[in-house]
Amino acid sequence: MMRRAGAALALVFAAACQCHVRIVQPATPTPHEIVALLKDPETDTVGRAVVSSTSGGSVELTHTREATRIVVGQPPRAPFRLSQDQIDQLFGEALAALPPAPRHFHLYFDAGSNQLTPASEKLIPEILVFVRNRSVPDVTVVGHTDTTGAARDNIELARSWATTIRDRLVAAGLDSSLVSVASHGEADLLVPTPDDTPNSRNRRVDVSVR
Amino acid sequence: MQMAAEIVVVAGLLLSGLLSAPLESQGQPAGYVKIVTGAASIARGGVERPAHPGDAIYQSDGLRTGAYGRLGVTLKDDTRISLGPNSQIDLSEFKFSPAEGQLGLVMKVLRGVAAFVSGRIVALRPNAVRIETPATIVGVRGTHVVIQAEYP
Repeated sequence: MMRRAGAALALVFAAACQCHVRIVQPATPTPHEIVALLKDPETDTVGRAVVSSTSGGSVELTHTREATRIVVGQPPRAPFRLSQDQIDQLFGEALAALPPAPRHFHLYFDAGSNQLTPASEKLIPEILVFVRNRSVPDVTVVGHTDTTGAARDNIELARSWATTIRDRLVAAGLDSSLVSVASHGEADLLVPTPDDTPNSRNRRVDVSVR
Repeated sequence: MQMAAEIVVVAGLLLSGLLSAPLESQGQPAGYVKIVTGAASIARGGVERPAHPGDAIYQSDGLRTGAYGRLGVTLKDDTRISLGPNSQIDLSEFKFSPAEGQLGLVMKVLRGVAAFVSGRIVALRPNAVRIETPATIVGVRGTHVVIQAEYP
């Protein structure tokens, strides 16, 4: 009799215990993803992102802090708005490690010469100061032409401009190991134009410091 | 005998040089590590090494962080990528040669938390940029996107 009661009691305890364990145990979160759009950290403009589930269905994010939640095998949930606190809580650690925004300097030559314009000449020491103030800098010097002439010739022309600027920067004291040179020819215009259009703003060397 | 020993030492040095080769350069860097906090590493050719500010990143590299780790990278087209703790990202594709018509950026966020600010490739060819996760493909048309991939 006592034995049976004991067994029953043990069962009750076991049940209670299991129940207790269930409450205390943190619910394992369902594997899921959250994708959110934020405004650009420098320009404050808001872009656009299209989130497509690998199993079909897609949603578009067009407002800042707009987000969607996705579980594998299901279509994305209808977009919802996250608060700034939720953004900080969910993404703060990653956002804290975002590197500083790159800065671009556009340099121009006097028409038909290898001489920088007076305004561009002044940028050389400014670039050096900017590089010095970055903790982990790297620099690319990229030549660009307008759309006059053959695309292939423009690649070579823009590369020669970029090399000239790289040499100027190194002569002025820039560590050459931080610098790489490239040419985008006429394929990366500052001012969009049709082919065979002279444009002095497009004929430039873009020094970017990251 | 001493000469033989020296040869062995030299051979050993050469061998250690060869063994570290997988983390040496493979073509042009796609970008550089700018920010490291706590445990963060670069995975290349099956070898994982601690990440340091200034380290070059190449196409196909993996970026990894541990429990308290953070990692921030800037690519050559100005794209910025950062990881929070316990995160894993692969840089599957990086092509930035507009003059040759070569443009593409594909990133895989396998787990953890990541932030992304798009660069020049999105501006030049928006369809060539995507972020893949286990459940989604995110087409980034500009500019700032954050992703949490909560997987055990």
